[in-house]
Amino acid sequence: MTVETKDYLEIKEYAQKVGEPDWFTALRLKALEALPQLTLPSFEKIKYQRWPIQLKGALKQRHSKPELLQQLSLKDAAHLVVQLGQETVTTKGLDLFEEQGVIICDWQTALREHPTLVKKYFMKKAIKVDEDLLTAQHVAYLTSGLFVYIPKNTVLKDPLTSYFVQDATEKQDYVHHVIIVAEENSEFSYLENLTTLGQTETTANIIVEVIAGTNSHVKFASVDRLGRNTTTYLNRRGHLGTNAKIDWSMGMMNDGNIVGDFDSDLVGDGSHSEVKVVAISTGNQVQGIDTRVTNSGKHTIGHILQHGVILSRSTLTFNGIGHIIKGAKGADAQQESRVLMLSTKAKGDANPILLIDDNDVTAGHAASVGRVNQEQLYYLMSRGLPKKIAERLVIRGFLGPVLAEIPSQLIREQLKVTIERKLVDGQKDE
Amino acid sequence: MTTLEVKDLHVSIEGKNILKGVNLKMKTGEIHAIMGPNGTGKSTLSEAIMGHPAYQVTQGEVLLDGVNILDKPVDERARAGLFLAMQYPAEIPGVTNAEFIRGAINARRPEDDPMSIRAFLKELDKTMSVLDMTEEMAERYLNEGFSGGEKKRNEILQMMMIKPKFAILDEIDSGLDIDALKVVSRGVNKMRGPEFGSLIITHYQRLLNYIVPDVVHVMMGGRIVKQGGPELAKRLEDEGYAGLRDELGLDIKLVDEEA
Repeated sequence: MTVETKDYLEIKEYAQKVGEPDWFTALRLKALEALPQLTLPSFEKIKYQRWPIQLKGALKQRHSKPELLQQLSLKDAAHLVVQLGQETVTTKGLDLFEEQGVIICDWQTALREHPTLVKKYFMKKAIKVDEDLLTAQHVAYLTSGLFVYIPKNTVLKDPLTSYFVQDATEKQDYVHHVIIVAEENSEFSYLENLTTLGQTETTANIIVEVIAGTNSHVKFASVDRLGRNTTTYLNRRGHLGTNAKIDWSMGMMNDGNIVGDFDSDLVGDGSHSEVKVVAISTGNQVQGIDTRVTNSGKHTIGHILQHGVILSRSTLTFNGIGHIIKGAKGADAQQESRVLMLSTKAKGDANPILLIDDNDVTAGHAASVGRVNQEQLYYLMSRGLPKKIAERLVIRGFLGPVLAEIPSQLIREQLKVTIERKLVDGQKDE
Repeated sequence: MTTLEVKDLHVSIEGKNILKGVNLKMKTGEIHAIMGPNGTGKSTLSEAIMGHPAYQVTQGEVLLDGVNILDKPVDERARAGLFLAMQYPAEIPGVTNAEFIRGAINARRPEDDPMSIRAFLKELDKTMSVLDMTEEMAERYLNEGFSGGEKKRNEILQMMMIKPKFAILDEIDSGLDIDALKVVSRGVNKMRGPEFGSLIITHYQRLLNYIVPDVVHVMMGGRIVKQGGPELAKRLEDEGYAGLRDELGLDIKLVDEEA
């Protein structure tokens, strides 16, 4: 037995305290036992292995002070879940959804009240527990999350908004799991906001699983603003059934080092994933974003569009992976990754990777790494705009094609505001 | 009254000397024209005054009310009162024409006193109608996909909205048909007054039929070789630049001249 008794005891003690069902604790222990055989996942041109990205154990129940939230000006929404650290602080307007049979609850509640559903979907379809070291650590030390279940034929027109606020006012890992299950013929729209309070050096391990059933349509949007001293592994993965569609719109506006692993598995015939990513790196941070779409089903469509901007001495890497499996007749894999560097010390990369194992398919890619167009800057400044404002306008133009493709007006506007703020802050380091 | 003075200006681009000692003085209330054959440095003069990073000033000064502006960045020169209507305006996707112009106006105002959207839109509407521009031009992305003529009109629109002290118009007439030329001229003439001066760069006399200059400068070989009134432009139209060159005894090869 390679697992230390200390971890066992900690997990058992924690499970007792939060009243966790035995089957889940057993799953944790299984993950813990698997750790020695597992390695860190590797992503092309993203060197993160030496970061403090591994969870160090110490599974503990913690209570954050809700008044901390007053430091953030969270935008209100009609249907809202706000979590701080391990706990839910506020919910609003969920009853309208629940009347239609929708389940929206935090992680501990889901384990207690919906074990059958959680057992069916938790790291079973989209991601496997023992996929790699980080996924197994995730299961062993998971402490918070959200479970969303949309029953068959249920169409929710209004979006659900979540705020997940990492409490970094003291040293504690943030291990968070979101499951969205959209059953047959359902429609669901979701906006996730990840953010950090506090400056303590911490590790975050966040996994989001979206399981889109036959003919379902999920619009998943996120605005990620994790803190400067948070080192993050962020894995979002979609599993798509027949004719299912997921629209991903992700704004990577974090301030710390992060690996973003965004994948869609087009399993069902005719399924379709649209992945839009905008990212801004500032200061000294490194953001590595690995976006993959795997076409397994016939006539599946996977499109990746990612644009990013790099300021100061920061780094941004975009991998775009289009993988067409043999037998995926009529599949379409398209991708475009573009990176704009604002300083000579910035480091950027855009790597298109197409892996095609069938002949009867269409695929294409475009990638570029470039600097700000001096003629554009000169033109804007010749009208009296200071250089920094002119730069922000050029950047906005550069990100525009991705923003324009984001289906929701609300999210477009919110992203614009976040982008502006991140750029203004980032320019202070220039 | 504001003065703009170019003194012994030498400018090179990629190591090649283009301007070899240009002298020029003008006041607000005046319209000056610079004429000259191709490749003689007219556009270089305008870009050097505005501060394009590719143009290197190796000698001389540009004084705005006696203050040398050559050590100032482009945006400060603009806020000090200079405007350049460019021959090839850049296209900026993602930024609408209207928000850009409003931003440019507000860059000249105190931060806590921006122009109200209402007042701005009213003035924009009025100005666009002077230039026969359709309303949708305000919401299109800055110069993106504009035709040549639309770009020129848009330069004049910006000039009229920003109200600079001195506007340099770099071949604003190139690529314009006669109707567009009249519209653009109407815009410039509307700006005429004691608080506005303009330096109009052109090959052809035609534009000067619509915007009658107070002073005409002829540039050849990187220098201003002759000055006169509007009649000088007419003479050039009749006799060409070669005639004037030979009269002045200049040893300059004209770019377009047959060898």
